[in-house]
Amino acid sequence: MSEGEAPDPLARLGERIDKARAERVRRQPTAADRSALQQGIGSGLRIGIELVVAIGVATGLGWATDHWLGTRPWGMIVLFFLGVAAGMLNVYRAVTGIGTPVGYRRAGEEGAGTRAAKDEWDDDEN
Amino acid sequence: MAIELHPLEQFSIERLIPIHIGGLDLSYTNAALMMTIAVVLVTALTVLATRRAALIPGRWQSAAEMIYEFVADMVDTNIGHGGREFFPFIFTLFTFILFANLLGMIPYSYTTTSQIIVTFALAAVVFILVTTIGIIRHGFHFLSLFVPHGVPKVLLLLLVPIELLSYFIRPFTLSIRLFANMLAGHTMLAIFGGFAASVGIFAFFPAAINVLLVGLEFLVAVLQAYVFAILTCLYLNEAIHLH
Repeated sequence: MSEGEAPDPLARLGERIDKARAERVRRQPTAADRSALQQGIGSGLRIGIELVVAIGVATGLGWATDHWLGTRPWGMIVLFFLGVAAGMLNVYRAVTGIGTPVGYRRAGEEGAGTRAAKDEWDDDEN
Repeated sequence: MAIELHPLEQFSIERLIPIHIGGLDLSYTNAALMMTIAVVLVTALTVLATRRAALIPGRWQSAAEMIYEFVADMVDTNIGHGGREFFPFIFTLFTFILFANLLGMIPYSYTTTSQIIVTFALAAVVFILVTTIGIIRHGFHFLSLFVPHGVPKVLLLLLVPIELLSYFIRPFTLSIRLFANMLAGHTMLAIFGGFAASVGIFAFFPAAINVLLVGLEFLVAVLQAYVFAILTCLYLNEAIHLH
């Protein structure tokens, strides 16, 4: 039996299978999509706690310094604001690192794209 | 009929084998037991699965190779040049946390990573390692990490303390992130489980939520191990390459 004479229902079945396969491939998220999602969840979970802990630890440190040196309330006030700044810095760094794997910057990577997105201060820090 | 809820009871530490040496309580606890099990399981997976390494891997060998390649890829992309020597450390860290988290998902077992002292010890090891590596590799120059370039001298008075603080906060964020996620997740499971036990015929709703939460907790268990490992990579990267 040659190919041209393939029974009609079977040929149509082949077509339908091909179509269904194409549809499935189209609907499935690509590997890139999935890894972007993973990185998104990863960095989201990371950043949430960054600010809170920075402020908490810094304020606690300030309290301890005051307790030790008897400088109440100055150490706590100063370190609270420093903690806010440090927390924001950490969050800012983590956020500018999005796109590279959940973090600051990829090793040795200084692509034009990431460079354009950064301001001068951040550039200087490299 | 009231059922007493103790959602935090699951985190209590019990001494299994009391050991007291010179006023120190070195008892072997349920937390220590779970850590031992995690270590044994990781070792078993990596050693046994690859003992008879085949070209076409079986299920176990495949699983072990997947974890290996996952971590190797993470180390390569995040530390890059000179990162391979830290691969064993990252691999150990990742698999230990992963197994500890996942073992905690077994009902009636114990989640070691929900203890702040466990996660803080891990984070402290990472912090000390990163700082030591930085100082060994770069010596005094390592301190340039805390001094942003091209900033007016006056501003340095403000920026250096901020940089210092953001550096020394790392072990805290690293440990509290893992600990808080595990603690919160397991507490939530226990609370909804308690609801289901106490509301009679309406138990379906909290039970259904619990099913979803278990799924979420599995995601968190894997993801937090990943986040811990990848942050260690990033910190090492910074210490090795120093911008």
